[in-house]
Amino acid sequence: MVGSGLRIFNAYPAFARRGEQFCCYPFEHKAIPDALTFGGWLGGARHWHFAMMWVLVLNGLVYLTFIYLHGEWRDLVPRRGDIRDSFAMIKFYLFVSKKHPVQGKHNAMQRSAYFFLPILAIVQVLTGLAIWKPVQLGWLTALFGGYVWARYWHFMTMLALIVLSFVHIFMVFAVDPYSLQSMITGGYREDLSPEARNARPFYHLLPRWRRRAAQGE
Amino acid sequence: MDRRKFLSAGGFSLTAAFLAACNIERSPRAQRLLDLAEHRNENVERLLFQHSSMNYAKNGAKIAGSAFPSYFISDTVPVWDESVRGPWALEVSGLVKNPTKFTLEELRRLPFRSQRVDHFCVEGWNAVAVWGGIRVSDIARVVGATPDAGYVDFQSFDNGYHESWDIESAMHPQTLVVIAMDGHMLGMAHGAPARIHSPIKLGYKNTKYLTKIVFLPKRNGGYWSDQGYEWYGGT
Repeated sequence: MVGSGLRIFNAYPAFARRGEQFCCYPFEHKAIPDALTFGGWLGGARHWHFAMMWVLVLNGLVYLTFIYLHGEWRDLVPRRGDIRDSFAMIKFYLFVSKKHPVQGKHNAMQRSAYFFLPILAIVQVLTGLAIWKPVQLGWLTALFGGYVWARYWHFMTMLALIVLSFVHIFMVFAVDPYSLQSMITGGYREDLSPEARNARPFYHLLPRWRRRAAQGE
Repeated sequence: MDRRKFLSAGGFSLTAAFLAACNIERSPRAQRLLDLAEHRNENVERLLFQHSSMNYAKNGAKIAGSAFPSYFISDTVPVWDESVRGPWALEVSGLVKNPTKFTLEELRRLPFRSQRVDHFCVEGWNAVAVWGGIRVSDIARVVGATPDAGYVDFQSFDNGYHESWDIESAMHPQTLVVIAMDGHMLGMAHGAPARIHSPIKLGYKNTKYLTKIVFLPKRNGGYWSDQGYEWYGGT
């Protein structure tokens, strides 16, 4: 979706309505490098984009239905004290505090990331519909501030999703690689959790004596 | 199959699909899938389509004027040369009771509409202009288009350029045979003496340098649709 979207964007790598300037994008009329695009040409990329959008939507619906039916959405909604708990996590990662805070299945920063990811994805789909059908779904386009702004939010939401995804994947490998098992099979070894290991990023790559020392901190 | 087995099998098949996707950009199999998706999407778009959905350019939006891009497929701006081709006329034919040739004067005598609307280009830009002209639906009424006409082909003198439309979109009240732009006679760069314009279709569907409107029982492709852009191209 991202690659074909960038290919489409490259046909007019700007947001300004013709005859106007656009305030809020510093790279107007600068194309995205071809290597980051997919679909070959504008028409091809459009076909990919409009085919794969259904996969994205179906995938999202399965996910939302699943966490709704299993009640797991409760693990993701923000809670009182999340801001304080996020600072506790940051302090731990910055070596200000010594003990890994114990904050349940997800820590406060994780929880807000997992809460905002689906919301951003929904915005991504809605802004996409708004620029696909700016007349037949004109009310939706108007909701995002018109065609130019809907296109802008579609682009910005994509950037936010990419940043969040990269941080997420980075943290999986840096802090809790053992959670890969739970993502695939559902099993999770509590004794290998970041709390149990008192794990800061890349802690698991340290030599064993250093890890033991960190645990004893 | 228990949950774990199901999930790991799912994980493997997803990985396989992902690996297969690496070299998929131009594969014929993928192309068939994309064609199917385009077909399905057209059905969705036709389901969403309503004659009452109108486009009005945003209040604060500037009229593009000279910044309005002008595309044509001939090497130079197509010009109707009266000394060679005789006086210009719009020929309306096909599944109609009274095939008619309209001179510019005769077109001007039909009900004139003016609309300040967006133009949506397939490339992603949009531009605002005030288009003035005659509704295609009014012309269809004058010539008596028959109920079996499901499609309309808009043909031009720009090197054979044409694009065919579904009849519903052609009969939309904002689909015009345009003869005026921003309060002036339509300029040569924008399709003079007459062109199709509607905010409900992407730019490439809006044939410029119009010469013929043909009502048809089935679709007749189009210059860009035949080269791989979506045939429907609706907004």
